[in-house]
Amino acid sequence: MPTVTPAGWTLLLSALATATATAGCIGEIGEPSGPASSALSCDDEGAIFPGRSPLRRLTRFEYNNTVRDLLGDDTEPANAFPSEELGNGFGNDADAQSVSSLLAETYSSVAEAVALRATASPEALGRLDPCAASITAATDTTTELACATSAIERLAIGAFRRPLADGELDELVALQQTIRQTSDFPTSIAAVIEAVLQSPDFLYKVELGEPDPDGSRFRRPTGHEMATRLSYFLWGTQPDEELLEAAASGELSTKEGVFAQASRLLDDPRSRPVVRFFFDNLLPISNLSRLERDEELFPTFSAPIGAFMREETQRFLEHEIFEGSGSWRGALTAPYTFVNGPLAAFYGIEGVEGDAFQKVPLDGTQRAGLLLQGGMLAGTIHSNTTNPVTRGSFVVQKIMCFEIPAPTGEIAEKVKPPDPYSGATARERFLQHSADPTCAACHRLMDPVGLALENFDPVGLWRDTENGVTIDASGGVPGTAITTAGPVELVTEIAKTESVELCFADNWLNFAYGRTLGAEDECTTERVHQAFLASGSDVRALLLEITQTDAFLYLPEREE
Amino acid sequence: MRPFRLGRRAMLRGAGSIAIALPWLEAMRGPGTAAAAPALAQRFLAVYTPGGNVVNNGSGENRWRPTGTENDFTLSPILAPLEAIKHKLIVMDGLSMHSAQGEQHQAGIIAWLTGTTQQGNGYSGGPSIDQVIAGTVSVGKPKKSIEMAVRWGTGKSHGLLHPINSANFEDNADHSPIPPRLDPQQIFTDLFGTLDPNNSDEAKARIERKKSILDYVDRRYAGLAQKLGAGDRQKLEQHLEKIRELEKALESGVVPSAICQLPEPVDTSDYDPATGLNSSDDGSIVNTTTDAAIPKVGRFMIDMMVMALACDITSVGTLQWTDTEAKHTFPWLGLNQHHHFYQHDGGFRPEECEQICTWYSGQHAYLLQELDAVSLGDHTLLDESVVFFGSELADPPSHSKDDMPFLVAGGGGGLRGGRFLRNDALADRSHNNLLSGMLGLFGIDAPTFGDPQFCSAPLSNLK
Repeated sequence: MPTVTPAGWTLLLSALATATATAGCIGEIGEPSGPASSALSCDDEGAIFPGRSPLRRLTRFEYNNTVRDLLGDDTEPANAFPSEELGNGFGNDADAQSVSSLLAETYSSVAEAVALRATASPEALGRLDPCAASITAATDTTTELACATSAIERLAIGAFRRPLADGELDELVALQQTIRQTSDFPTSIAAVIEAVLQSPDFLYKVELGEPDPDGSRFRRPTGHEMATRLSYFLWGTQPDEELLEAAASGELSTKEGVFAQASRLLDDPRSRPVVRFFFDNLLPISNLSRLERDEELFPTFSAPIGAFMREETQRFLEHEIFEGSGSWRGALTAPYTFVNGPLAAFYGIEGVEGDAFQKVPLDGTQRAGLLLQGGMLAGTIHSNTTNPVTRGSFVVQKIMCFEIPAPTGEIAEKVKPPDPYSGATARERFLQHSADPTCAACHRLMDPVGLALENFDPVGLWRDTENGVTIDASGGVPGTAITTAGPVELVTEIAKTESVELCFADNWLNFAYGRTLGAEDECTTERVHQAFLASGSDVRALLLEITQTDAFLYLPEREE
Repeated sequence: MRPFRLGRRAMLRGAGSIAIALPWLEAMRGPGTAAAAPALAQRFLAVYTPGGNVVNNGSGENRWRPTGTENDFTLSPILAPLEAIKHKLIVMDGLSMHSAQGEQHQAGIIAWLTGTTQQGNGYSGGPSIDQVIAGTVSVGKPKKSIEMAVRWGTGKSHGLLHPINSANFEDNADHSPIPPRLDPQQIFTDLFGTLDPNNSDEAKARIERKKSILDYVDRRYAGLAQKLGAGDRQKLEQHLEKIRELEKALESGVVPSAICQLPEPVDTSDYDPATGLNSSDDGSIVNTTTDAAIPKVGRFMIDMMVMALACDITSVGTLQWTDTEAKHTFPWLGLNQHHHFYQHDGGFRPEECEQICTWYSGQHAYLLQELDAVSLGDHTLLDESVVFFGSELADPPSHSKDDMPFLVAGGGGGLRGGRFLRNDALADRSHNNLLSGMLGLFGIDAPTFGDPQFCSAPLSNLK
């Protein structure tokens, strides 16, 4: 099993600082993570390993979705927030989240703008509470106060994702009344919205927990806290009515209840944006619409084609996961893809017209599965020349979760990347990587993958030759002795490795838990790994299993 | 109502002008003369450019280093654009960033202002010098500091905050990285929105509302923090501290004056400040339109930074010209590969690197001249400032951090420009000593700064 760091290089840094310069990649591949130091083993009866659960803040993606569902604001206002920390690669790593002056400032200005929009007209006010639409200057104070109180209560329950505690409503109504002394009614309601959107109860997924009904020493998330966990994991937004009802009824206090609701959320189309978000961050596709290539060298490529490639990959994954085999292995080898008219013309696929995407079969000679789609091949290439290192390192690090340290110390001094204009083929240009043992330590992992993809040019189109020389697309599977003769064989063999499946599971674990999982999470990771392997790498089963672990169902002991 | 506040500059213009002006004259007198201590430095700016400089063009020639002696020297071709402001500039050669330990580029940008090594979490082991200085000189200002970045979050950081692109770190227990402001129009509104003369009664009412709102928010954080475990409590307390900064900022407004003027607005609709979010690891995603707007946006940000100081919005700022990935192109120089490609990704290309570095020198000259154009009566804004220009490494192909291409400009605290310091006679050429030396210009007594193992004594040749 490889050392698992799906985000690639974040965890690696500490290792780099102490690594000896010549250690290279050898010895870092194929070794398991250190065992968790615990008296109990994962399988012991009654052993519970919740792991850490640091306070998580809404990400920009989640904030945008939440104000859309809470207030009908679909302007994606959170895009104005300062950059999130990359952390685990998904921008939601709780341990990396910090609060800068700029963030606090933008929370305030964005909340003000959202609040203004939410109170801009009687119609808008009516969405907060029907009574608020008909409040005018002529309304008597008793009626107005009753309406304000009602609107604020609805708002706060929704925004805090739980029933209000004693005094919470009074405090907000008091704020509204203070503002009302010098402002009109809509302005006073806007002030309350502005305040609520900056409250920790809204911005953070607060988990105080409650004692475990089964009597363990760990606490468990309350029903509403569990609803929030489920909803943000599978929908990227606040819980819906049904989930809140399940929370209130106690349904979410059992593992089975959590499973039932997780199944419902996953099967609902509202889970699709989260799956898209996950792949947009994992794969090099979110930016394809901006890919620029030399027009003379690649006359058929254009930015819209790049955008269509991204759509191809997302459509394909959604179909394969929710309607096709449902398995990650299947996605890596499936003999079909999705194209629309322009993209089909670009690839040279006949019989597809118009802008709508449709499923088309692949004959398996040149392409199969996710990794041989145009977007994967174009999105990993810098500029107008292919680079087997960048393609290989994407597969090795993001898809197989092998750690490849960046050249450092003495090695870095030696690094002299090849002149991209020397040598007819990439294999010739990058010859030194296998000739020089210093380079080979790492590059023997990346280059055999990248060189096997050389039949695809910098825009992801098939080619048989480069500069008039026939391309040798032989390669190999990293971490194994398996050699391959061409790209389809390469991805077929890669898809059979356990590394690929476990890496996918680990990426989902990090994303779902908003952390970077480490050795101390071994029991959770192991459990999810086993379930995923047993399911035949079924993605739906994986996502549901992630809600059935101690990490999801329990809270760690409170740090004092 | 905002309490009336007599600005420091108003004092300078009034009765105190002679008494306060004197030390500035003393500062011009030069060493060896018995004199009152020069006025302490009042402003600090840090300017980051990526990928070092051409300190070795591959044939052993340093294309950055001036020729001549400390007081009589000729600027190199790369530094030539700074000729007009040379008399207020120290070319600080020969220092090594010993503390830059970790990933080659990341450890460099982290060490640059902190003097600490890259830690297990990827970030710094201490605060950055700008934040420490801000704790002294920005007290009572609406903003403690302002961080801006042009064309930031390229390459592997995908527009997100990461050790790849973090130069500033909070002066608190966590040393959290500080994200820069990226959107020039948003910066304009945030910093200078209240200078709009049309805002009057409504602006005041809004400030009162904001106070009530933040008062409520403040209580929520304080209350909830008490219910949480240590780590989470610290997180909320950190957030609360920032909310209190906002509350304080509401108390202190910005008043237009002869010196504090609205910067000239610039149309930057062709520039996408969030384009980093679309970046790819290897720089394959090129946004030519945005890249082409870099010179315009850079100047606009410089104008705003200068006015942020002139208007006393803050006393401390950082400007990053991109990040250590530097994976953007330079269409206005005719360079269509990204900077990292010229540094080493495509094999070291000294001519292209020189073109880029020379361009950055020109931009820096503009910043210094703009600061020098703000007259505070008997001296200029630059004269009471310290402006530190640097990079995460010295030599792009080797990633060496020896002979760092640093520039220190201004006149604050008695800083004496017009000099070329080789520093090769120093026993210990650690850049940490420069950081502690600069702190001294602000009256901050710091025998060491950053990781003490890299410190001997504050650099004394700044004055």
